[in-house]
Amino acid sequence: MNILSSVRQSKTLTPTLLISTLMLGFIISLYGQSEFSLQANDLWRILMAPDIQDIKQQVILLLRLPRSLVACLIGFNLGVAGLLMQGLTRNPLASPTLFAINSGAACLMALNSIGFAFFSALPSGLATFLGALIGGLLVFSLGGGLRSDNNALRLILAGIAVNGLLSSLTRAALIIADDTAYSILHWLSGSLSEIDWHSWSQLWPLSLIALLLAFSTSRGLNLNALGEQTANSLGINITWLRVRVCLAVLLLTSISVTLAGPIVFVGLIAPHLARALFNNNHLVLLPASGLLGAALVCWADLLSRSIIPPAETPVGIITALIGTPFFIFLVLKGKL
Amino acid sequence: MTRYAQLLLSGFLLLFLLAGVSLTMGAESLPMKTVLQTLIQGGEQDFIVNYYRLPRILIAILVGMGLAISGVLTQGIIRNPLASPDLMGISGGAGLAACTMLLVWPNIDNVWLPPIALLGGFSAALVIWLLNRWHNPSPARLALVGIAISAFLSSCINFLLILHPVEINSAMIWLTGSLWGRNWDYVWPLLPWLIILVPFSFYLAWSLDLFALGEETADALGVNTKGLQIVALLSAVALASVSVAVCGTIGFVGLLSPHLARLLVGSRHKLVLPVAALVGALLVLSADTLARNLAPPLELPAGVLTAIIGAPYFLFLLHRYKGY
Repeated sequence: MNILSSVRQSKTLTPTLLISTLMLGFIISLYGQSEFSLQANDLWRILMAPDIQDIKQQVILLLRLPRSLVACLIGFNLGVAGLLMQGLTRNPLASPTLFAINSGAACLMALNSIGFAFFSALPSGLATFLGALIGGLLVFSLGGGLRSDNNALRLILAGIAVNGLLSSLTRAALIIADDTAYSILHWLSGSLSEIDWHSWSQLWPLSLIALLLAFSTSRGLNLNALGEQTANSLGINITWLRVRVCLAVLLLTSISVTLAGPIVFVGLIAPHLARALFNNNHLVLLPASGLLGAALVCWADLLSRSIIPPAETPVGIITALIGTPFFIFLVLKGKL
Repeated sequence: MTRYAQLLLSGFLLLFLLAGVSLTMGAESLPMKTVLQTLIQGGEQDFIVNYYRLPRILIAILVGMGLAISGVLTQGIIRNPLASPDLMGISGGAGLAACTMLLVWPNIDNVWLPPIALLGGFSAALVIWLLNRWHNPSPARLALVGIAISAFLSSCINFLLILHPVEINSAMIWLTGSLWGRNWDYVWPLLPWLIILVPFSFYLAWSLDLFALGEETADALGVNTKGLQIVALLSAVALASVSVAVCGTIGFVGLLSPHLARLLVGSRHKLVLPVAALVGALLVLSADTLARNLAPPLELPAGVLTAIIGAPYFLFLLHRYKGY
């Protein structure tokens, strides 16, 4: 613990370490684990001697760069979304995965893409947004989040049940639509394999709006940590704060699910690591949690490509394999 | 005839009826008369009825019984209404072991499936037991830990299936539980285990009734509580693992059936156990029949359907449960 506390005390060391981990992951993921034998100095050549005809440079610029950028931004979004949820509900296990926001978005995305009823008429972004909303609302209303004897544990268990229900519906819908598509399994567990520049241009404008919205709530969340009544008496409009936070969470999660499927547990791990490394000020925690989420998804994506080289493991499986032990640890530690 | 006997009898009749209906339905629907003829003398439809649908129905009934009885025993011993083999990670452990075995040695004989699954189930149970000893979590938190462990195990299964791609229907068996392609080759390895374990759990049910009064009272009434706890848990794990070995991790049956049975006949284990077994068999059989017939010739995994029924019921339980 000595190291941890001294790291906490130094103001510059932790952010520097964090950002360099992220940068390292980003750079390695640009050239690492490829069927083309790319090397670090290929990156240099792009900067020093750009050549459109060179196949290696094309691979990096057209496939690798957007993928790494999207991985980082999705990780950032999920990390921020998790922190917002934990800040608002004061429930340490709140996260897009455990509150079924991820799986709700995935469910409506699936119904949308197979052309089920009126869902097919919606644009896919709106469908995932609606799905995220439905998932979250179901968990909150059925888990007694609105009851006076509001209980954190019941909320989480309800989230897990709704999660099971929604992902079963998703599987059923996809199997009925196309029983041969193995890619279903990939997408359902969250995969970054089909990312290109088009996805990046879809992702960044909405993310920017949602992130600005998220950062605008940080002062409110700081006061909310003292309890709702205290926050209220300090001049925070709780309802308005909730609306803004929920909107930001739904936007951040649904845009990520639209592009990469449900990447689980990032929104749970990143905020806890951020709290362990920094103080409890949301103004610091929000970017920290985002950067940690970005580093996590970036490294997980790199790992997912290196396990069985030509094929790709969905990145969501890697985060699930890291995330579930972490989740068990949090529960046993009595964080709830 | 008592009300209880009537209930059992009508349950059996319902199961019989459902099995009959299930035999006639499918991608190719057959009239009842043809089915009966084929069952007795064979004939043109011999393959569909006797080699395809009949073993599948038998497996659905056996597995449903196994999971339900396992659920009754687990809930009885842990005295936790949210406990069940699938929510404790036991099904997940058994599923992971069986799935690993089939992917690593695809040509292995089916006889080895139950013992390997047992190994997986016991390891998962051991992990839960150790965590329970070290941290002694509250019942609801224990349920949460169990769910987290099953989530971990199912992502391991998911990972394995990505490493060794198989046909989507066989993948679904291990991901959600399904009876796809289950034939006589799977009935025979399953049967001997259940023939031993089911009567044994009926015998255990007698002592479990005393156990429900509380450990100390049961002790005073002459029950060897420690021994009973261990034996009952071991048989619960064994029943769940053996069932999972054949048709994957069909969820929520072990949670749902004991609760439904208790709604019907009260809380005495002696009475609950047979009814729960019937309810479990009915659940899995109807889920599988629906799964085959919603969009033939496509098949849904039966586990998806049990989750669609089971998850809302779990939410209802959470709503009523008070001891967080």
